[in-house]
Amino acid sequence: MLAVTWADRTPFGDARTEAKVVHPVVMARFARGPFRLDATLNLEAATMRGGELALGVWGEGFNDRRHPHTVAHELIVSVGTRRWSVSVGKGFVPFGSDDPMSRPALRYPVNHHWSQLLERAVTAAGVRVGPAALEAALFNGDEPERPGQWPAWDRFGDSWSARLTLFPAPGLEAQVSTADVASPEHRPGAGPEHRKWSVSLRAELPRGRSRVTSLVEWGRDAELDGFFRYYTALAEAQLERGPARAWTRLERTDRPEEQRVFGDPFRSVRPHFDNSILGISRWNTVTVGAARTWTWRRAVRLEPLAEVTFARVTNVTGVVQTPEALFGRNQLWTASVGLRIGAGAPIHRMGRYGVLANQDLHGHE
Amino acid sequence: MRRYALCALLSLMACSDDSSGPGSGDATSTASIAIPPNYGIHDTFVRDGLAFVSAWNSGLLIYDVGNGIKNGSPSDPRLVSTIVTADRGVPGGAQVHNAWWFHDPSGSRRYVFVGQEGPGVIGRSATGDIHVVDVTDLEHPVEVAFYNLAGAGTHNFWVDEAAQVLYAAYYNGGVVALDVSGALSGDLSSREIARVLPGGQSYVWGVQAEGGSVYATDMLSGLWQLQLAGNQFLVAGGGANVAARFTSDLWVRGGYVYTGTWGQRGAVGNAVNVWQLDAQGAPVLVDSVVTDNITTVSDVEVSPDGSLLLFSSENGPRAGLRFYRLTNPASPRFVSDYLVPGGVHTATFALIGGRLYVFAAKNPPEPALLIVDVTDL
Repeated sequence: MLAVTWADRTPFGDARTEAKVVHPVVMARFARGPFRLDATLNLEAATMRGGELALGVWGEGFNDRRHPHTVAHELIVSVGTRRWSVSVGKGFVPFGSDDPMSRPALRYPVNHHWSQLLERAVTAAGVRVGPAALEAALFNGDEPERPGQWPAWDRFGDSWSARLTLFPAPGLEAQVSTADVASPEHRPGAGPEHRKWSVSLRAELPRGRSRVTSLVEWGRDAELDGFFRYYTALAEAQLERGPARAWTRLERTDRPEEQRVFGDPFRSVRPHFDNSILGISRWNTVTVGAARTWTWRRAVRLEPLAEVTFARVTNVTGVVQTPEALFGRNQLWTASVGLRIGAGAPIHRMGRYGVLANQDLHGHE
Repeated sequence: MRRYALCALLSLMACSDDSSGPGSGDATSTASIAIPPNYGIHDTFVRDGLAFVSAWNSGLLIYDVGNGIKNGSPSDPRLVSTIVTADRGVPGGAQVHNAWWFHDPSGSRRYVFVGQEGPGVIGRSATGDIHVVDVTDLEHPVEVAFYNLAGAGTHNFWVDEAAQVLYAAYYNGGVVALDVSGALSGDLSSREIARVLPGGQSYVWGVQAEGGSVYATDMLSGLWQLQLAGNQFLVAGGGANVAARFTSDLWVRGGYVYTGTWGQRGAVGNAVNVWQLDAQGAPVLVDSVVTDNITTVSDVEVSPDGSLLLFSSENGPRAGLRFYRLTNPASPRFVSDYLVPGGVHTATFALIGGRLYVFAAKNPPEPALLIVDVTDL
């Protein structure tokens, strides 16, 4: 997708406009007998190495920019049946909700690092009994420091997660998950562990020519025995009607504030060398967007879109770095127009391996 | 591109790029000791040829750098012992941040005071205790006592050794004075003499006793002059005197105080403020030294003979060590700098074998104790 994004304000600065190619992915799935490969190649390292302008979004040393993901985004081999599975490789950990790239909005939510765990060396086992699926995984806690970096193999197994997914009725999917992630932000392993919880309910409701997809989620991340606690609540919905779609997202998410790097107000100091932060800010955002798809020769999809986000940022604990000090005010706007170009199957729900693979919300495979 | 390459080369060489000034030579690297990246090294206290290296959760590392106990020297430091102090329930572990080897008036050198820097929100909250380590046997140090101030965390120390009083900067707890005379054991809460929050809402980085006063730097409100009178602190002067920047470390010497600055407020923390003490010991701002391309002055110290001002700096292409001549102590004159990629968190002078060294805490990702010979500056 080619996206032009305008943001007002930016950290220690005024309004800014940038054009980037975002979400450049190549996805493939292969299945034979009990074996299956899920692979996603992410080319953001080439198209947005400095990140995507996105106020509020943070992680991996980026602030108010979404970081580029690693090139080998998913490379997971699974073996099993509908009742059981084992998955091994690099990819998503069974925790939280769907990756934002496969959800309606262009812009990532602030809670990406609270609600998904990805790009890890993971071994997961799953069992499926009736309308319930239980997954558990071991993985490495460290998150990538740059797009070309592989997980720290010697840290494999220092972190774990478990997710229970329920399919209570056609079109409904609920999950509750927890994870204990060792030192995600300090690759050598000296950083604090993160104790995480996520609960979400996802619904897909077809109505004639229309379809409504919605997600509500809540999450908590506690660090240093709960000394720092971050909460997130999010609700989003999309209405699809023929080739057109419109979406909205409401979010309230806490994020840590960290000292910015000299000369780059969008980056924070890495690696950490103590356990202090500059405060916690709370991002209350409203996002609305719309798009329409045209198909060219049944092979290529072209989807122009427009999206606007309003954020009201409040200060939870900061003294030396408040939203007002950072941005000059606490009401911020971000707007984007873009053109998505796709071929083949649409972006699939990433992180759905083993017993959750090929399972839509209506029980179909 | 060429300019960046030159900067990178200068950084890699950690070279002194300006040796102008009478009698000045170069700061030369003597040794570099790798410290486990756990998170790394925060502070160093050097005395009698021993370096007490505060290495976070790797603990307190005691090196012979000229004492003789292990035949160490500045160019060949030898590890004497290590102690990982108790976490005492503070999230994050031992988090050894700073130390002071106490020489009491009787000549006893039994105790090292260790500061634990637990998690906090800078400007608002902090955690971490004072730990007391018995080094009667330097090769087998033992933790024997602690002090906890509920709801606050300790930072830098200064010990008035003649009076046997430890002054601790206690971030959101202000300044604490402890009686450290005699044998120390267990909970030292009964040893608390006084404490004060000089600026109301304070976040005190450093403290130093000098000339009957106690000077404290509050990140939020600047430099304060305090006096310990009986069991209470009196605010004698200063305060609410630095608004444009957050204040960091301090050093008091010869009627002047040098204070650093930190992070980003209205302006970035690239200044050292120079204060002259009036007849009552109250600070009066007389000068500021501003350095481009850094955002924090993390540590400040004057050489034992009073001739050189040193500060360490972080976060920027000019991060490292910076030296000024104090021919006129009210107006420091730049002598040289020593660039260190990633910056230096703290630095301290040490006279060993007739030569003057700086012991510097190099920041991650490759933390190290740097020992630099500055005799010829």
